[in-house]
Amino acid sequence: MSNSTAASAANQTGLLSQIWGSIRTTLRLMSYNRVGFIGFIMVLLIVGLSFIGPEFIPLDTKTKVDQIYLPPSWEHPFGTDHQGRDIFSQIVHGGKDVIYVGVVAAVLSTLIAVTFGTLSGFSGGWVDTVIMTITDIVLTIPRFPLLAVLAAFVTLNNLAFLGLLLGALSWPTLLRAVRSQALSLKERDFVEAARALDLGTSHIIFREIVPNMMTYIVISFTLSMTAAVYAQVGLVFLGLVPISASNWGVMINLAWVRGAIFYKDSLWYIMAPVLAIALFQLSVITLTRSLELVFNPRLRSGE
Amino acid sequence: MANDSMEWSFQTAQGKNHTPLSLENVHVVYNIRRGEVQAVRGVDLELHAGESVALIGESGSGKTTLGLAIVRLLVKSAQITQGKITYRRDGREVDVLSLKPKEMREFRWKECAMVFQSALNAFNPVLRIWDQMLDTARSHGWNDRQAVRQKSLELLRFVQLDPERVLNSYPHELSGGMRQRVLLALSLLLEPQVLILDEPTTALDILTQRTILDLLRQLKEEQHFTMIFISHDLAVAAELADRIATMYAGAVVEMGPTEELFYNPRHPYTLGLIRAVPTVAGGFEELFSIPGSPPDLIDLPSGCPFHPRCSFATSRCREEEPSLTQVGPDHYAACWHWHDVEKELERTPLHRGVHAIQQGGAS
Amino acid sequence: MATVEAIRSPAAGPSPWRKWAATIARSYLFRKLLKTAFTVFAVTTIIFFLIRLLPGNPVEQYVNFLLVNYGLTYHEALDQAAALFSIDLNQPLALQYVQYLGNLLRGDLGTSILSPGTEVSAIIKRFLPWTLFSVGTGLIISFIIGMALGLLMAYRRESLLDHVLTILASILSSVPDYLVGIMLIVWLGVQWKLAPIAQMRGSMSPGMQPNLSFAFIKDIFFHAALPITTYILTRVGTWMLSMKSSTIAALEEDYVTVARARGLKDSRITTAYVGRNASLPLFTQFAITVGFIMGGSVLIESIFQYQGIGRVLIDSVQQRDYPVMQGVFLIITLAVVFANFFADILYSWLDPRIKLGGQEE
Repeated sequence: MSNSTAASAANQTGLLSQIWGSIRTTLRLMSYNRVGFIGFIMVLLIVGLSFIGPEFIPLDTKTKVDQIYLPPSWEHPFGTDHQGRDIFSQIVHGGKDVIYVGVVAAVLSTLIAVTFGTLSGFSGGWVDTVIMTITDIVLTIPRFPLLAVLAAFVTLNNLAFLGLLLGALSWPTLLRAVRSQALSLKERDFVEAARALDLGTSHIIFREIVPNMMTYIVISFTLSMTAAVYAQVGLVFLGLVPISASNWGVMINLAWVRGAIFYKDSLWYIMAPVLAIALFQLSVITLTRSLELVFNPRLRSGE
Repeated sequence: MANDSMEWSFQTAQGKNHTPLSLENVHVVYNIRRGEVQAVRGVDLELHAGESVALIGESGSGKTTLGLAIVRLLVKSAQITQGKITYRRDGREVDVLSLKPKEMREFRWKECAMVFQSALNAFNPVLRIWDQMLDTARSHGWNDRQAVRQKSLELLRFVQLDPERVLNSYPHELSGGMRQRVLLALSLLLEPQVLILDEPTTALDILTQRTILDLLRQLKEEQHFTMIFISHDLAVAAELADRIATMYAGAVVEMGPTEELFYNPRHPYTLGLIRAVPTVAGGFEELFSIPGSPPDLIDLPSGCPFHPRCSFATSRCREEEPSLTQVGPDHYAACWHWHDVEKELERTPLHRGVHAIQQGGAS
Repeated sequence: MATVEAIRSPAAGPSPWRKWAATIARSYLFRKLLKTAFTVFAVTTIIFFLIRLLPGNPVEQYVNFLLVNYGLTYHEALDQAAALFSIDLNQPLALQYVQYLGNLLRGDLGTSILSPGTEVSAIIKRFLPWTLFSVGTGLIISFIIGMALGLLMAYRRESLLDHVLTILASILSSVPDYLVGIMLIVWLGVQWKLAPIAQMRGSMSPGMQPNLSFAFIKDIFFHAALPITTYILTRVGTWMLSMKSSTIAALEEDYVTVARARGLKDSRITTAYVGRNASLPLFTQFAITVGFIMGGSVLIESIFQYQGIGRVLIDSVQQRDYPVMQGVFLIITLAVVFANFFADILYSWLDPRIKLGGQEE
């Protein structure tokens, strides 16, 4: 039995070095899995482009009536839109908000899912029943229609708020996964040991169980992000969210509203944001699948 | 096909010298990333009509692989690289290894049924037992539902189960022991000439073990089934087998009639196996175990594969692998020093251990 | 897992009805029914309070609107609003809630603000079948194709076909469904001119009378083709990958090896032994999928101008037609809840291990 301060100090560094250790292992293993690595690089590229790109590539806001719907060229890699503005610069500027909202949603969603999922799985009894009932109900309510209805009452033009709202609706699936993991970890030896040492419930949850669920946490985070991107772009596309900033979803909405979809020449105006979003989602999901393979060797084929 | 008293069609037709199954120089190799696993290395076996042979050995000795090879159910990474497996019936001979897939499918279960150990998961969870019986019959061209049903009920009665109830049950509704008995009944449905039973009593409770052993003994003594038992348990062999073949590292190291092998083993490995069984009736005798562990089948030791664990080993054992030589009437052993084993036994005979095994098996 | 308890019943014993009732009470089916009823109840309650308590309370707003524009007295305005929302605004909230529930049970969901005189339930009756038709068809077809391809991929694991299909499935399941819909319009309709999208708008051609003639059926499929294709494309990938992994797991099971040892035909093994067991996990996913698809229908119907309930929801949101919004949202949620319930029942019918009184996994 060691001094409790020393023990908790050791656990502090333990957690951090565990995280760093797992990051290093992940990177190493990822380089063996080509597809996952590509996904990882793509995510980095897109995120980098969206946050750093705007510093270098100014947004083209000048209307040039004679340059409407030009096809791609060196000057305009994605052509021009209905007002002659360069599409590429819009794409570069358009990712920021989308990813920001996604991250906010993912953070909230993961926090709720991990905290309550662990609590639920670990405590059992009526705590578990209550949390699971709430989870089941939230899970059953179809998310996008609910968001559409909420949009009628609440003006959703604050990005952070939008992110929080999305996050508050996407935790159920994640919570279930976390809970089942917590249930299985509950019976493990190191938890028994911690109990025997009388270390308290919150200690057990945060110092013992959570580090073993890092994999689930990371995977929930990335999946929340995809769900949030899906929801927000959908809302913007339907015009339910009055965001006027440059934003991939807004680009699609404008293309739709202006009927750009139905013209042959305006192909790039609609395809560019669609491709950007699709590529981002694809990369994140590929990354997540590879992370699953990395963390769960049983899923690897041929072994 | 329906018989009223459990008399089997083939037994009366064949003569005494009939050999339903023979294996000649069979080699099986698994290809895994690390290398080639020599699972079975040159096994010869002649199975005579109505005889039961036990293949005894530790895990990894190749006994199960051999069984799988006979019905050609090895995994894709395994290959039968050499040898001949011949099956005979009604005066005709068939080279099992050259059967086409369709013929092989007909061969399985109808001519030769391999019953796997641990029937816990042997049945399709979504079908009733009756459906699975019918499946088996239909796949072999037997479409007479009434007759199949009659036979199934009869067989379930034979294995001491409530026929109607079990037939209508799903697998998960039956206990492990019941499932093992159903599997046994199923294996007899098409009246195969040869039965291969892999670990028939492992993972079962004592009472069920007893029931199964009694049933198998009945099959052997009253119905004169031809059977191969694969087991690591000497008690099974003692009760049921006419002949025993001990296997080590993919090869048969000793083969002979049961009593002969038990009283007068001539291979150090067999000796070790028999000695390793503690006696219930005995006093504070030393427990013998064979030191060391089974060899790596990818990288076998030179010479005799048993030499690292053998107390009789000499330099010759390290260099040359012995082949089976006759050491008694119908008794063969693959050892350079079988005479030494003989002498050792004259000094310290095995009576007490053997009696304990024979009595322990009958409790 | 399940015990042999339920079979122990002797041939002669308590009356079959008693036994039956006891089994039902303990059974999976009953518990699921109970859970569904509770969820329906919870959802209707949430929606009620959503409408009444959110900022920008639509009831109050409407009352104000009436006061300002029509010069009604407060009581007259309240009465009108009450009629529209099918609640009595003079009562305390709790009683309004009870009234709301009572109305629901009678099928009274209120009246539309924008189309005065049109009952919400009439609107739902008119548009819901189209959504059910398109979503249902899409779901079933994607399920069948997904299962078949997943099975194929597992059997031909590591082959070129497997790799190609896996990549395709991964891509398809990652891209948002409305983007797929837009791409269909852009590429099939505009760029390659393969589909006459202008004529494919709406759920049926103008002037068509709903009947069971071949011409009508052909017509509705013509109009529903693009939405259905979108549903299929977005869902099939998930089914494929799930089926592939569960088939791989099933192929490694003992009973498959034993089935081969029994000399069963490969076709029989694939369908009854591998197929049936591998498809079981897919049914548990079914519930989640229905939720997604109903949610997606909101967007997809807007894209293709398909007159289903999703489109009605969006229109009502954009036009702030609160009673319609409330009613439609409730119906959409209920549709998902019931679909989940049926999926659970189907699953318990298919997997005999669940039938009897025993634990759920």
